[in-house]
Amino acid sequence: MAALKYVGPAVVVALLMGGAVAVSAVRSPQARPATSAPAAKAPSSPARLPGYNPDRNAYFGDLHVHTYLSNDAYISNVRRTPDDAYRFAQGEAIGHASGFPIRLEGGPLDFTAVTDHSEYLSAVREAARPDSPLHSLPFSQNLFGTDAAAMQRAFTAFVEGSRSRALPAEYDDPAVAGRGWAEIQEAAARNNRPGRFTTLIGYEFTSAPDGRNLHRNVIFQGSRVPGAPFASTVSADPEDLWRTMDGWRAKGIEALAIPHNSNGSDGLMFDSVRRNGQPIDRAYAQLRARNEPLVEISQIKGTSETHPSLSPNDEWANFEIMERYIGTDKPVTKFAGGYVRRALEDGILHRERLGVNPFKLGFISSSDNHNAAPGGVEERNYFGASGGRDGRPEVRDGLPAGAARTWEGGTSAAVVRQTRGGSGLAGVWAEENSRAAIFAALRRKETFATSGPRIKVRFFAGYDFPADVLTRTDGARQAYAHGVPMGGDLLPAAGARSPKFLVWAVRDPTSGYLQRAQIVKGWIENGVARERVFDVACADGLKVDPATARCAANGADVDLKTCQPDRFKGDVELRAVWSDPAFDARQRAFYYVRVLENPSCRWSTWDALRNGTPPNPRLPATVMERAWSSPIWFEPRV
Amino acid sequence: MSQERDSGAPGGLRRLLREPLLHFMLIGVVIFAGISVAKGLNRPTVRIDAQELEQLASYWELQTQRPPTRAELASIIHERVDEELLAREAVRLGLDKDDMIVRRRLAQKMAFASEDVAAMAEPSDATLQAFYDKTKDRYATPARLALRHIFFSSDRTGVSPENGAEAALAELKAGRPAVGDPSMLPQAYADVAVTDLSRDYGDLFVAAALKAPEGAWVGPVASPYGVHLIRVEKRLAPEIPPLAAVRIDVRAAWLAERRAASNRAFLDKLRRRYKVEIAGLPE
Repeated sequence: MAALKYVGPAVVVALLMGGAVAVSAVRSPQARPATSAPAAKAPSSPARLPGYNPDRNAYFGDLHVHTYLSNDAYISNVRRTPDDAYRFAQGEAIGHASGFPIRLEGGPLDFTAVTDHSEYLSAVREAARPDSPLHSLPFSQNLFGTDAAAMQRAFTAFVEGSRSRALPAEYDDPAVAGRGWAEIQEAAARNNRPGRFTTLIGYEFTSAPDGRNLHRNVIFQGSRVPGAPFASTVSADPEDLWRTMDGWRAKGIEALAIPHNSNGSDGLMFDSVRRNGQPIDRAYAQLRARNEPLVEISQIKGTSETHPSLSPNDEWANFEIMERYIGTDKPVTKFAGGYVRRALEDGILHRERLGVNPFKLGFISSSDNHNAAPGGVEERNYFGASGGRDGRPEVRDGLPAGAARTWEGGTSAAVVRQTRGGSGLAGVWAEENSRAAIFAALRRKETFATSGPRIKVRFFAGYDFPADVLTRTDGARQAYAHGVPMGGDLLPAAGARSPKFLVWAVRDPTSGYLQRAQIVKGWIENGVARERVFDVACADGLKVDPATARCAANGADVDLKTCQPDRFKGDVELRAVWSDPAFDARQRAFYYVRVLENPSCRWSTWDALRNGTPPNPRLPATVMERAWSSPIWFEPRV
Repeated sequence: MSQERDSGAPGGLRRLLREPLLHFMLIGVVIFAGISVAKGLNRPTVRIDAQELEQLASYWELQTQRPPTRAELASIIHERVDEELLAREAVRLGLDKDDMIVRRRLAQKMAFASEDVAAMAEPSDATLQAFYDKTKDRYATPARLALRHIFFSSDRTGVSPENGAEAALAELKAGRPAVGDPSMLPQAYADVAVTDLSRDYGDLFVAAALKAPEGAWVGPVASPYGVHLIRVEKRLAPEIPPLAAVRIDVRAAWLAERRAASNRAFLDKLRRRYKVEIAGLPE
C-alpha cells in the first residue's frame, strides 16, 4: 500500500509521456513550407528504441549552448552554426574562433539543446554580410574586430545597446530573427537521431534588469514551437515569459524554462518580491512552479549551489564562486536570493505561507559555451567559452602577461574577465534516448547536475526497501518499486516512520575517482531556514564519524607539476542507505545528494603546465569535481 | 507703318493661322491636355489586398504577442503605403540598377522560384527505392548486443578483482554459479548499441564482447571500474533499416539532391541563353 503514496508523480509522468508522444509525431519544419501533402507516410516508429531500459539509463547532455546566431558569440569571432554544435556534441571536431580544432575528449554527448539569445537573434550574423541592409549602418562598423580587446569593446557596446534598446531599428527586423529561428529548428530536425542523439529546440530569454541576471533557457518538448521566441526585448519580466508559455501550452506547444546564473542576479533570481514590488503570492508561485521545474546550478560563469557566506558550515561551498554581474565587473553584494540551496529553503517557507512552493527546483548543469561546443567543460581540454575573447590561455588568465615566466607582472587583463570554471553537464534518468523520454525526465525533475565529469548519481527515498537493495542485481527496479526517485515528493508513512535514503554514484570512466557522497538537508525550524551536510559514503573503506557527519580524510592529492592524481585513492562506486538522525515527520524538508571526486587539476593549472609556468596564484590550482542530484522533498500534511 | 499695320492685321492673322508652328503648338496643347486628363484618370494604383493586410497584422502580432489596435493598424498600413510609394518611385528612377543588395535579393528570389518549380515533382516508389539502394549505408545503425557480465570492482579489498574473476570463471566453466561485486551499472543488457557500451565500459570491453562466442563466459576484461566476465547472448550486426523505416529521410535526401541538380541545370540553361563578358578575360 506504500506504493499508493507515490502515485502522484507517476500519473504526471504518464500524462507527460502521452503528450510527448502525440506532439513529437508532428514532423519538423525541415520540409519546405510551400509544398504540401507528401505521399510518404510517417514510418511507424518502433515502440522502444535500442538501449531501452525500464529502470532508466543515465544520459548526459548540454542544455545551454550558443552559436554564431548569438550576437555576443559572433562578435567574439565565432562562426560555427547550430549544425556544427550538434556535430561537436556527437564527437566530431570543429574549428575554434582562435584557429585550432576542438573536440570532446570524453566522447559524444547523448543530448543537446542549442540555446541562442532570442534578443536580436542572428542580427550581427546578418550585419556581417555585405548584402544585408544592416551591414552599412554606422553601428555595425565596430562589431568585427579580431583582437580580444576590440572584441570586448564591441561586446560591451552591444550588450549595453541591447539592454537600453538603443540598437538601430534594423536590428529589430523580425525577418532577421525569423531566419535565425528557422535555422535553429532545421538544425535540430536534421540532427535528432532517436536512440542515439537527441536534439531539443530552445533559446535563451536574456533578461537582466539593471544588469541583474534573470536569464532563462526555454526548452521545447518537440518540434512544435511558436513562430518567434518570447524575448526580453518584449518584456524583461519573467512573469510575462511564463504567461506566454502558458499560452503556448494551451495551443499544444509544451516548454519549460530553466533559470541560470542566479549567482549574477545580486539576489534577484529567488527574491521574495515580484518585479512589480508586490510580495510573491499563490498565483505567482503556481505560475512559476508550472513553468520552471529546474534550475541550472553550475556553468562556466560560476556555480550557484550555495555561497560560503550562506553555508558557513559547508567546507565544499567555495566551489567556482563568481561574485560579479554577468558580463561586467560589477561586484555582487546580495547572496541570499542568488543561490539555489537558500532558495530551496525559502521555497519551503513560501510553501508554508502560500500552500505552493515557487522554488521546487530540480538540478541540471550546462556549459553556456559560446563556441558552438556543447560539453566543452573538460578541465584538461579547456578552450574557453567565448570565442576569441578567451580562446587562448594568454587572454584568459591562464598564463602571465607578455609571455613572462612568472606572475609578478600580473595578467594581460586588458579585457573585462570573470572567474570562469570548466562546468558543467546535465544528467537525466530516462528509459531511452528520445525527445519524449528526455523531456519527460526534465519535467519530473529526475535530473542531476555535474561540474563536467559524467558521474552517474541515483537517489531514492522510501520506507520499505529490501534490506539488500544496494547489492541486488535488480537494485534499481526495487528502488523504483519501493521509493521515489530524485525530483519527487516523499509523503509521510503511517506511524511517522523515518524514511531510508538510497545513494548510488559511479565515477566517470575518463575522470577521477570518487571521494565521498553526501546528503544535503534543508528544513525550517521555528520559521527559520536550516541546513546541514551529512557525509553518507566514504571511499577507501573509511568511515563516517557520527559526531561530525564527516568521512575520515582519504588524503588524496594531485601533483601540480604533472597533474597526476595520487594512485589507489578514491572509489569507482559509492553506495549508502542512510536515515536522517534528526528526522521529524511534522517538518517539511528537502534532501539532495552531492558526490565529490578526489582533487584534480583545474583548467588554469593545465594551461600553466603546458606552458611550463606556475599556475595563476589568484585562481585555485585544483578542483573537486562533483555531481548534485535533484532534491527529494519530504511533504507532510499535503 | 500704322496703315500698313492696320491693313496688315487681318492678313497677319490669316498668316498666323496658316503658320505650321502654331498648328504644331496647338496640337501639342491638345495632346498635353489629353495626356493630363488620361493621367488623372489612370493614376497608378497602390493596392493593399485583404491577404496582405492580414499578413501585416499577424506579423505585428508575432512581435508583440497581441493583435494591433485600430490606431496601430492604421499606422501599420500608412507605413506600408509609404514604403510602396518610395519603392515604386525608386524603380521608376532606376535606383534599383547597380545596387548589390537589390541584385542579391532578386537573384535569391529567382533561385527560390526555380526551386519551387522543381519541388513540385514527388518521387515515385521506384525512384525512391533506387535512390535508397544507392545511399542506404547512410542509415545504418550501430552493432547491438544482448549480454550479461559479472563485475569485480577495483574498490574491493582482499582478493584482487583479477583473481576474483579468474576464480569465478573456473566456477562457471565447471557449471557452477558465480557472483561478483554489486554495482549500480546494469548487469544484463537486452539490446545495447556498442557505441553506448564503449562509452560506459571502454574499448577493451567492447572489443572482447564483439569477438566472444555467443553463449559462453569470457574474461577477465578490464574496464575503468574493474574487471568483468562477459557472456554475449546475441550479437546483432550493424543493420540497415528497410526503406519503409527511413522513407521520410530518404525522400528528404532525394528532394535535396534533385533541388541541387535542378539549380545547376537552370544556371547552365541561363549560361547558354546569355553571353557573359568579363573585362580582361577572353571569352
